[in-house]
Amino acid sequence: MYGRTITTRKRITSAVWALVVNAIFWIVIPYYLGVFLSGRVPDSALTVPTFVYEFGILFIILEVGAAFFQGKAIAVPMISAVALLTVVYIWYATNGGILGVETSGITIALSFRLLLYVLVLPSIWAAIRAPLAYMVWRHAISSGASSSSPAP
Amino acid sequence: MAVFVQTKQKTPRGIWALRGVTVAITLILLVVVGTVAYSAYEDYSAVRAELAGGSQQAVGAAVLRGSTETVSINITVPNKGLYPLNVTLACNYPTSNVVCQRASVNVPPGEEGVLRFRMTVSDVSQFESSDNRVVNGTVSISMSPFVGLTVGTDFGGFIKSGGG
Repeated sequence: MYGRTITTRKRITSAVWALVVNAIFWIVIPYYLGVFLSGRVPDSALTVPTFVYEFGILFIILEVGAAFFQGKAIAVPMISAVALLTVVYIWYATNGGILGVETSGITIALSFRLLLYVLVLPSIWAAIRAPLAYMVWRHAISSGASSSSPAP
Repeated sequence: MAVFVQTKQKTPRGIWALRGVTVAITLILLVVVGTVAYSAYEDYSAVRAELAGGSQQAVGAAVLRGSTETVSINITVPNKGLYPLNVTLACNYPTSNVVCQRASVNVPPGEEGVLRFRMTVSDVSQFESSDNRVVNGTVSISMSPFVGLTVGTDFGGFIKSGGG
């Protein structure tokens, strides 16, 4: 975590890996899913919304930054930002836990607000945990300074 | 930016505590999502079997007395899930000659409840001849406290000319 040296090569490798994985997850898969849906059901409104790509770009930037700066203080807000962005994304994608559809004179509304709170709980905790973990590591390293020294 | 060089740094207790909280939250999430999904599947299967299986409890009848028709629907609602199940049938905007008696049943886990729904048409011939025979109704199914499903549909199809 914070108590070890990380080479520049490893940082670049992690950042590239984060870039590839997130680009596949947020850009490639949604794009081909959209192509698949529009091909299968041409007259339906089943398309991948634009906000998925917009959020995807933000996720990619933050994840790559967090991977590149891992072990440094600057990575902490990035990790928290990814977690908070996940909360916003889930909330936005599920319309705050209230989904509705109307077809052939039948309206269907699904409400799961409390379940949504439970679903976003790990992300909220991840946003809180990142700075706490950094502080704990920093304190542990500082208190054990006799056996460690800051790198130049 | 200082990067701390450390050899054989033990994981601090605080980190273990943070990991413990993470594990606890993950377990809560898994338990809640798992039980909700299981309950939803079990309840759906049970209600579907009840309606499709020709149960004697799930019956509808229309009785015509004079010009007034009363539609009675009795549905047995089994709850094989892990959460209390609430089912409600109601009319949203009763038309002038159609009155619905709101029906609601709260079924604890592992038990069955009977939903008794009544619709009364005061002048059935007028209703049959009118252009607008739509009776907007809602079927609400909630698995307390996590999930609720509301289906809005036309209850006019329950009213048959001449009763029966």
